[in-house]
Amino acid sequence: MSETPPAQDADTSAPVLSIRDLTVRFGQAAPVLDGIDLDIGRGELLCVVGESGSGKSVTALAAMGLLPPAAQISATRMMLGDKAGDVDLAGLGERQLERLRGNRMAMVFQEPMTSLNPVMTIGRQIAEPLIRHHGLDAGEARTRALEMLRQVHVPAPEQRYAQYPHQLSGGLRQRVMIAMALVCRPALLIADEPTTALDVTIQSQILRLIDELRAELDTAVMFITHDLAVVSEIADRVAVIYAGRIVEEGRRAQIFEDPQHPYTLSLFASMPRLVAEDVSGGGRLAPIGGQVPAPGNMPAGCRFAPRCPFAVTRCMAEVPPLAAPAGSAGDGHRVACWRAPLEETLG
Amino acid sequence: MTPPILELSGLTKSYTAGGAAVAHVVGGVSLKVGRGETYGLVGESGSGKSTIGRLSLRLVEADAGTIRFGGIDLRALSGRELKRLRRRMQIIFQDPFSSLDPRVRIGTALAEPIRLHRLRRGAEVDQRVEELLATVGLSPAHRHRYPHEFSGGPRQRIAIARALAVEPELIVCDEAVSALDVSIQAQILNLLEDLQRDLGVSYLFISHDLGVVRHMAARIGVLYAGRLVEEGPAETIFADPRHPYTRMLLAAAPRLFAGPGAAPRTEIAGAPPSPFDLPPGCAFASRCPFAEARCRTEAPGPDSYRDAGRRAACWRSAELPPQAAEESTARMSPAFRRRLDLLHTARREALA
Ligand SMILES: Nc1ncnc2c1ncn2[C@@H]1O[C@H](COP(=O)(O)OP(=O)(O)OP(=O)(O)O)[C@@H](O)[C@H]1O
Ligand SMILES: Nc1ncnc2c1ncn2[C@@H]1O[C@H](COP(=O)(O)OP(=O)(O)OP(=O)(O)O)[C@@H](O)[C@H]1O
Ligand code: SF4
Ligand SMILES: [Mg+2]
Ligand SMILES: [Mg+2]
Repeated sequence: MSETPPAQDADTSAPVLSIRDLTVRFGQAAPVLDGIDLDIGRGELLCVVGESGSGKSVTALAAMGLLPPAAQISATRMMLGDKAGDVDLAGLGERQLERLRGNRMAMVFQEPMTSLNPVMTIGRQIAEPLIRHHGLDAGEARTRALEMLRQVHVPAPEQRYAQYPHQLSGGLRQRVMIAMALVCRPALLIADEPTTALDVTIQSQILRLIDELRAELDTAVMFITHDLAVVSEIADRVAVIYAGRIVEEGRRAQIFEDPQHPYTLSLFASMPRLVAEDVSGGGRLAPIGGQVPAPGNMPAGCRFAPRCPFAVTRCMAEVPPLAAPAGSAGDGHRVACWRAPLEETLG
Repeated sequence: MTPPILELSGLTKSYTAGGAAVAHVVGGVSLKVGRGETYGLVGESGSGKSTIGRLSLRLVEADAGTIRFGGIDLRALSGRELKRLRRRMQIIFQDPFSSLDPRVRIGTALAEPIRLHRLRRGAEVDQRVEELLATVGLSPAHRHRYPHEFSGGPRQRIAIARALAVEPELIVCDEAVSALDVSIQAQILNLLEDLQRDLGVSYLFISHDLGVVRHMAARIGVLYAGRLVEEGPAETIFADPRHPYTRMLLAAAPRLFAGPGAAPRTEIAGAPPSPFDLPPGCAFASRCPFAEARCRTEAPGPDSYRDAGRRAACWRSAELPPQAAEESTARMSPAFRRRLDLLHTARREALA
């Protein structure tokens, strides 16, 4: 990604999260993240999509400073910029990160039970960071926590306040997680597959909720998912990640109307609904052959080459740069493929 | 005529939760799964999908109703007889981890049910294990590995291989692909379809993903608060839903190609009724835009509406205006379509 700010109607002149050349390695194997660049502006929602194992969660955890000590992390920039000023995330110690988390940046995980404390009432769990980070007294914190529960549409918040996580349904738990994440009005919210396990009804409620809250609080959101229909509904911009690299990036309309990368196309082609309406032919689903390469076994050139039906010799040897596709107006759409745009190179 | 592989009639289940409180979880469900057919069961969280899956195999006991498996009355069987029959029916869950013992190698896990049911003996057991691994697209070497060495997709393949080990006629797939990414999901769905074609397995396919169910199922049943509110051939359900809840469910699904002009995704406001306190009339009345006075007092029977292999539990089904599910590809851009075609052509050429 270049230094030019993404074209956006929201005020994104100074990104809330700005990452350059983020590389993460576990042990001696090839990096699991290899030169990731990301910007998320105020009130902007960036969707990160890609198959299982492509590096979505590692990206999120790196930004939150939550990777295990075994991870070797390098980046030329890791900035959190909000009203309280810019912070260089890479330079922070654990204590300082702890102070930012849940306060200026927060994360929602796929499985709420992993991050909810099973022996603490949900009310206390929401109120606690207000006391810890903002010095509110217990009464004020309770009032704000109840307000937050109401804001995430938890019915009967007073009764729920005193309940434990196991007494709630999955959808309610996820909302409680979001309330916890947002109660300190963070500048950055990272949501890692927050709706994957939920049915459409609850899913749509939670998507709307995140959307409302970002409009209201101007929160920058990184939304990780592999559900392209969800992406089409909520994304301002989309980053498609494969084997630790961003292979395509653009505004939602660019990805959904003008997808360029063979990997992006392949993700779409695996979707049942495209077959149901017989676009891809034969009535059969079209999964991507093979697997995401393991870190110990990364191809030298384009990492998608072994699975790509368009691959040519060059693809095996040289890494394609992430650049504006030929003929695009330099408006934020970028693709890393030697053969894009396909209709031209295929002649 | 051979009886359907699974036939539920008037199936009912409730749970007591301390004191007098009774949760009515499944209320008089009747459905048939034909041989070699996929029956899709959809509905909101808590609507009773998993409970019906388990009741069907008698993993939990029903309060009332009958369950016929290939014509055999399951509820009349003794424990011993049931155990013998269990071989012919299997269940696969969303989390394949939960059904695999982490300390047991894959080969052993697959061999165990084969030995238990004496389907093969001696060296034939090993041979069968290899065959099963091959069927689900894994290599013979995988038998020596432990479950944790596999990621989501392969692990779900192992769960399927284990279900297949006993040569079942019916597999209940309870959100079996819900946690997988689109590509692995597509692989597993293709595998399930292949198995159906080659072995004639029938599926009771439970999922909250309407796109997946539409692709897989010949018939679909829509569940609300423990009752089937609509049932019929998949195409009809999508092209002409006759129950207000089905319509809402379809309208609430996210659209792949939204964009300007697309019908907006609508939310189903409110929540389903508590199973402890079901209303006297139609359970959907409190959320239904079509509800009239009668709906709140008198519950419509499961086939108060009937038409061409389809039924709906609604007083007003016949009056509802047409509402087809929007074709999500109608708004696909020409560039998208062209590149998708290039992809398919390139794949075909790569294969040739
Ligand atoms: N703690 C760790 N130690 C070693 N390798 C790791 C660790 N965490 C992640 N990885 C590796 O990093 C790669 C990216 O993993 P990541 O969890 O980011 O994938 P993901 O895109 O979030 O996938 P999913 O959709 O399954 O959540 C994988 O190859 C994974 O095995
Ligand atoms: N053992 C049990 N004791 C009491 N109530 C139960 C029990 N098992 C299920 N229930 C209740 O029965 C109802 C239906 O549950 P079930 O798991 O069948 O729903 P589901 O449609 O599969 O939902 P999901 O989509 O969330 O998996 C729920 O209200 C649930 O709380
Ligand atoms: S660079 Fe080559 S291998 Fe990589 S996606 Fe493009 S065509 Fe395929
Ligand atoms: Mg992840
Ligand atoms: Mg269930």
